[in-house]
Parts: sequence; structure tokens; C-alpha cells
Amino acid sequence: MMRRSSTRKTGSQNSASSMNSSPVDLFCSASSKASVKELERIDQLFNSYMNKSSDMIDPEGIEALCSDLEVDHTDVRILMLAWKMKAEKQGYFTLDEWKRGLKALRADTINKLKKALPELEKEVRRPPNFVDFHSYAFQYCLTEEKQKSIDIDSICELLDLVLGSQFHAQVDLLIKYLKTQNDYKVINMDQWMGFLRFCNEISYPDLSNYDPDFGWPLILDNFVEWMRERQS
Amino acid sequence: MSAQKKRNFQIEAFKHRVVVDPKYAEKTWKILEHAIHEIYNHNASGLSFEELYRNAYNMVLHKFGDKLYSGLVTTMTMHLKEISKSIEAAQGASFLEELNRKWADHNKALQMIRDILMYMDRTFIPSTHKTPVHELGLNLWRDNIIHSNKIQTRLLNTLLELVHRERTGEVINRGLMRNIIKMLMDLGSSVYQEDFEKPFLEVSANFYSVESQQFIECCDCGDYLKKAERRLNEEMERVSHYLDTKSEAKITNVVEKETIENHMQRLVHMENSGLVSMLVDDKYEDLGRMYNLFRRVPDGLFTIRDVMTAHIRETGKQLVTDPERLRDPVDFVQRLLDEKDKHDKIISLAFNNDKTFQNALNSSFEYFINLNPRSPEFISLFVDDKLRKGLKGVSEEDVEIVLDKVMMLFRYLQEKDVFEKYYKQHLAKRLLSGKTVSDDAERSLIVKLKTECGYQFTSKLEGMFTDMKTSQDTMQGFSATQSADTGDSPTLAVQVLTTGSWPTQPSSTCNLPAEILGVCEKFRAYYLGTHTGRRLSWQTNMGTADLKATFGKGQKHELNVSTYQMCILMLFNNADSMSYKEIEQATEIPASDLKRCLQSLACVKGKNVLRKEPMSKDIGEDDAFFFNDKFSSKFYKVKIGTVVAQKESEPEKQETRQRVEEDRKPQIEAAIVRIMKSRRVLDHNNIVAEVTKQLQSRFLPNPVVIKKRIESLIEREFLERDKVDRKLYRYLA
Repeated sequence: MMRRSSTRKTGSQNSASSMNSSPVDLFCSASSKASVKELERIDQLFNSYMNKSSDMIDPEGIEALCSDLEVDHTDVRILMLAWKMKAEKQGYFTLDEWKRGLKALRADTINKLKKALPELEKEVRRPPNFVDFHSYAFQYCLTEEKQKSIDIDSICELLDLVLGSQFHAQVDLLIKYLKTQNDYKVINMDQWMGFLRFCNEISYPDLSNYDPDFGWPLILDNFVEWMRERQS
Repeated sequence: MSAQKKRNFQIEAFKHRVVVDPKYAEKTWKILEHAIHEIYNHNASGLSFEELYRNAYNMVLHKFGDKLYSGLVTTMTMHLKEISKSIEAAQGASFLEELNRKWADHNKALQMIRDILMYMDRTFIPSTHKTPVHELGLNLWRDNIIHSNKIQTRLLNTLLELVHRERTGEVINRGLMRNIIKMLMDLGSSVYQEDFEKPFLEVSANFYSVESQQFIECCDCGDYLKKAERRLNEEMERVSHYLDTKSEAKITNVVEKETIENHMQRLVHMENSGLVSMLVDDKYEDLGRMYNLFRRVPDGLFTIRDVMTAHIRETGKQLVTDPERLRDPVDFVQRLLDEKDKHDKIISLAFNNDKTFQNALNSSFEYFINLNPRSPEFISLFVDDKLRKGLKGVSEEDVEIVLDKVMMLFRYLQEKDVFEKYYKQHLAKRLLSGKTVSDDAERSLIVKLKTECGYQFTSKLEGMFTDMKTSQDTMQGFSATQSADTGDSPTLAVQVLTTGSWPTQPSSTCNLPAEILGVCEKFRAYYLGTHTGRRLSWQTNMGTADLKATFGKGQKHELNVSTYQMCILMLFNNADSMSYKEIEQATEIPASDLKRCLQSLACVKGKNVLRKEPMSKDIGEDDAFFFNDKFSSKFYKVKIGTVVAQKESEPEKQETRQRVEEDRKPQIEAAIVRIMKSRRVLDHNNIVAEVTKQLQSRFLPNPVVIKKRIESLIEREFLERDKVDRKLYRYLA
């Protein structure tokens, strides 16, 4: 899903929160010898994946990283890693982003990074983080300047990736619906956030607590109607 | 307090010796008792009032009041028992008469006795709390006569029998009846109620229950109501003649309950004669009767209103959804107006102009008029028809009446903006073709629309009128400058239309004939000379022309044609025949318009100034056209109309619909922003409600559309969803 893109995204700065700066971070940034060494190793690790001409880890470097970590580059954990780094541009990690992420994860070797991934996933899955991650995932896919929405096919992939494991049944149906309907060709942030809220709040499969007067995005009204028709 | 003892003064009563003859009391009473006998025997004339009074006075004074009182009771009771016997003995009809006579006697006697015993009445009775003489006499009458075994039931039955006979049409002695009832009332309201009124009401309820059951089985609704009304009046009359006035409410209640309330539903829904039939047949009298009777019982008017509403809605729905009716918009609207007039008249003549009925009528109309999405278009077409030709020779007041009626229908419309769209189109056509009959009527309607919907609604319509006026002035100015070299060149009349005020027309130009082009250019130069910075474009699809034509035998005609038709005809000044293709090339009129023009020039009998080969109704691309020198007409002026579709075709309709929807979007968004700007935070339902309220004078926004607009505003960052309570929206300033 990490499509390559050459244009640099400048629009809508993502609202990834600053909750990564935990006390541990502050402690680590104290100039102890250990942390200096750790920083050095993180830099070295960056250099090993970096593209020399751009001073960034580019898609190729990410693929190399993935294979070293023994995860697929489309794995949700890579997206989570990007979230932890607050990576701005899809398919690229800058040194700053890399340092921010790895320092927070206390990983200065590829092995440590690998071991940190399950813990990272747990962190992301904690509710307030997950909302942030969900919104980050959308922003991360906006590659064009002033782009505000994402086409249906990409959204379906993203849905599966981000919500699929947690809300399997709903997400499957939602994807099915998105692919059959003709009213929407793209999905915007509001609708995307609505999907998460829907999965979190609406009891499935009876949908008993769904009330269209609650101001759900229209697309979800339509989705619910579509599901109810299927059920009856 | 001082301990000093109070001294009580005592005044000794003056005592004089009273010689008490032990037999005094007995003797005196005998005299009085004798007098009472004489009074009851009608021999009172020989008695001395003064002597009797003194005797009674002395008895009381000498403390024989008790003896006097009890003696009175005994004596009177004895007489009443005798009277009772004589009344009992009376046979048949004389029973009441006897009772009445004896009652009168008793009253007279009582009067005299009371006068004799007045001193006892005033001093002894109050101090011993005994019953005063008059009341005592009534009580004794009640107990010994009215409540005696042999009279009580007989009396009641006789009275009820008489009422019954009167109800079945016999004439009874109402005077006697009144006296007897009056007697019962005199004996106390409880006597009247217990011994007469209660059983009377029960018997009446029975009577009317049976009778109404009979009536309802054999009468139609109108007759039934007539009978019920008559019964009600009879009972009221009865009360006024011989019953206690307080009984009126009670007995009418009984009649209402038995005859109306218990049969209400059946009456209203009676087949072929119930409320619906009365409404259909305009039975004002029957309807009025029903209204007046039903209003007397609980839920009565509600029942009528309910059935009327359902009926109007149903017939209205049939009317507006009947495909047959959709063919003729003018007739469609006329029928709506007729329907409204009909029910207005019913409500005013039969339903006492009841406000709640008027409201029900209005809400019914609003309901069904909006069932047909074409109602706004049709109402505008109706106005168009009236303002084009319908109002000729009609007085100003009548014009106002018609327009007011139209406005009334307009008020029912939920989609007033759709009406405006059509009205604009139709008005434009009227103004440009000079078809409008009365400028005053046009303006009057605009003023009405303005008062109803505000300045915004009519500003563009008024702009159109202004354009027409300005154009007149412009043309005067123009012809003044041209007067020198008029000569043979055509006269031009230009209407300069402000873009935006007029309905947008796809501006399809055509090639104007050289003669015309010349004048047009002169006008353009004149106009742009006085108005710099403007742009003129010719709307050739909207104009008309008068042509002078000479035909084969030299007969001259003036042809009134459209601009397109003029362009076509002018080609035949230089050629006698032309093919379709040649005409199309020379004029560049859009194909569909060209075909319509040619059709009206060549295929309509009596107006066929062109001849077509091959002869057929429709225009083909390979047809050839000839100047028809054999053309003849009775009239000098020949008006060649274009075959125009007056009612919108399906695609046009959809286009208008789409334009309306597009126009609504910014209005809805503006309303949302206005509301959110002042409220800052609001939940979804309230936004929808407020937007609907703000816009309902123009149209009824669809909640789904409102939601879409909200989402669009979120996307454009005018609003956001509240982070915590997601049904709330926040305004982002």
C-alpha cells in the first residue's frame, strides 16, 4: 500500500499527537554516555538503509528494512512504525523521524527494533492512541498537494489494514458496500473517522443503537440501510 | 383585676296576675279547630279573622303554643287524609284535575290558616325551632297526598304517560300539566327531582334509545338528523311550557346522547347519505344541521372534521395524481380552485366558519397539492394562461379575486422556489412576446408575491419589468436618432435584457438577414455609445417579426412570425425553392428549432406560406421547400405560430429540477452557516430543524440534503465534529 510518490506533501500537517514524549524519553535525552552510544548506533542503523543521494530512507531502503525485520512492507506494523516516527511522507523516513521513532522505542539495533514491534502494536491499540493512529493512517496516504480525500480502492485496502483485524466482519461488509455503491468515488477524513467511530460504537450485527439523527456521515446511513436490506 | 365584687342589678319583671281558667286552652282551641274545619269546607266567609287571630295570640301568650301547634298538625292531617281519599277516588283523566283542584284549595286554606296563626308563626315557631305553618302545610301535603301509596305511583305514571302521549303526537292539557309540575316544584326541588325528573329522564332515555334505533335502521342520514333536531326542539319546548328550566340541560343531554352520540359514527359514515355524500352534493342545510347537532356532544365536531379531512385529502389526491388531469395544467389548477371554493362555501354556510375546520381544509390542501411535484409549474401555467388571455374583459376586482386565489394555492406549495423558476420563465415569455394582457395585473401579482415571500423572491421578476421599461425608453431614443434615414429599412424593436434577471436561455444565435443585421448594428452602436462597458448579444430565439409579403395573384398579407421564421422566409426573396440543407446552412438555426419553424410554415393549413416536397406532416432532412404563391387567407394579418411545447417535456423538467436543486445548495449552506455562527455548537437534529424552519418559506429542504451540505462544510472546514460528543457540530470561525 505504500505507493511511491515524488511530490512532497505540504498540505494539512498531521495532527499526530505529542504523546510520544513520555518521561522515559526525557530521561533518555539526558546526556549520559549510554544514550550517546545508543544515538550513535541509531544513526548508524539509519545510514545502513539511507539512500546516499537524498539523505533519506527511500522506498527501497524501507523494503530492505522490512526484509531485515522479517515483516511484509504492507504489514500494519510498518505503518505503526511510521506513526511512531511521525513520518510525513509516504515511503520515506528522514533522519529526524528515524531518531524520534527508534529512540522512543529504545531500539538501536535491528534485533531490538524487531523485538519492539509487538510492544509498539500494543501501544497503538490503546484507545486514544488508536484514534490518532487511525487519523494518521489517512493523512499518511494523502500524497498530493491539497489532496483531501482518498479513492475508494485505496480506502478499502487501508480499512482492511487498519481496522480489519479488530473488526473483521464490519470491515468486510463495509468494503463490500464501498465497492458496490456509486454515490461516492472518494472518501474524506470526516467519513474515515466516522468508520472508526462506527466500528467502536455500533453494536454488530444488530445495529440496534444506530440512529441516523446522530449526525453520522451520510455514507454510513446508506451503509446501514444497505446492511439492513441484506439482512431482511 | 380588682378583687372588688361586681354588683349585679336586677330588674324584676312586672307581674300581673293571670287568671287561668283550666278549661281556657281547650275552649280556645275548639274555636280555632272549628275555624280550620270551616276553612277546608269553604265556609270561611262566616269567620271573624280578628277574633280568631286574638284567640291564637292568647293561646301562644298563655304558653299553649304547643297545644295550638300540635292541634294544627292533627287537624290538617285529618283533612288531608280526606282529600287524599277523594283524589284517589277520581277516575281516569279527572285524577289530575282533582289533584290540581284540591291543591289549589289546600293552598288557599293554608294561606288563611297562616294568617290566623301569624303570631304563632312569628314568635312560638322560631323559638321552638318548629316548621313554619306554610312549610308545614306543604310537608303534610307531600306526606299525605303526594307520597301516599295510592297516589305516588299513579301520579308519576300519569305524568309520564302524558309526556309520552305528547311525544307521539297527541295534544295534552299543558296548563294542567304545568300546574301539577309547579306543585311538585313548590314542594321542594328534591320532590320535583325524585318524584318526577329522575324517572322522566330515565323513561326519555329509553324512549329515544328505541326510537333512534328505529330511525337509524330506516332513515338516511339527512332525515335522521332532521328528526333528531325536531326531537331536540320539542324537548326544549316542553321544558319551556311545563317543566323546571333547570331540566332543559338534562333532557337535551339525554336526547343528544341517545340520538347523536350513540350513533355518531354510523351517521357520519352512512353509505350514500353520510357526511361524504353531503359534502359531495353540497347539502349545506344537512351539513349545517349535522354541525349544530354534533357540536352538542363530546368529540362530535372532531368526528366531522376528521371525516371531512380524510375525504378532502382522498379526493384531492385523486385529482392531483390522475394522469388524465395532468394533460391540461389550466384545467388542473381550475379544479383545485373549484375544490377550494366548494369547501370554503361549505365551511362558511354549514360549519359556522369554524376556524378549526378552515385549518383542516388548509392542511389537507397543503398535503395533496404537494403530492404532485408539478403543482408549482401548473400553478404558474395557470397564471400564465389568465394573464395571456383569460382576463380580457374582466373587471379589475375580478382579476384581483383570481390572483388572490392563485396566491392561496401558492401558499400551500412547499417548493416555492420551483414556482419562482417557472414563473420567471413564463413571465419572460409573456413580456417578450408582448402577450401580457394587463400590466396592472402582472404587477399586482408581483406585489402579492413580495408581501408573501419578501423582496428577494421577486427582485429578479421586478428586474424584468424594469428592463422592459428601460428598453422602451432606449428604443425611443434610438428611433429619434434614426428618424432621418428610415426609408425602406426595417423597423427594429429591441428589448435589452439584463443577464441574471431573466431565465437563462441557451443562447443559440442564427445568421440574420443582411437587412436586419444592418439595423442591428446601428442599434448596437447607439446602445454601446450611451452605455459603455456593456456587452450585447442577440437572443434570436426569443424575437418576433412582422413581414409584408406579396403572393402569386398580387394579394398582400402581413405575416407575424418568429425571428427564426423571418430568417427562413427572407431567404425566399432571392430564391423560389430551397432544400432543407440549404436553409440550415444559410441560417444556422439549431436543427430542432429549424424543424419546428419549417413545420409551422409549411405544414399548417391556412398558414402554409411555404410548400414542401414531399407533402407530409414531418420535416425530413431531404425535403425541399418552395415559396407557396398559391397561398391565400381570409385575413390580412396572418399569425404563424411556432409549434411550442407549453408544458415542459421530460428532459426540460429534469433540467429545471436540477437547477432548482443546485440553487438550493448555497441557500442551505448559508442557512447552516448563519445558524452555526450564532449558536457556535449545535447537535444534528437541531440544525436540521432550524434550517428547515429558516427555509420553509421558500422550499422544504430534504434532511439528507442538509446532511450532505453539513458534510461539505466540514470538509471545507467551516464546521467540525465535536471530539467528545460526536452528534455535536462546532462552528470554526
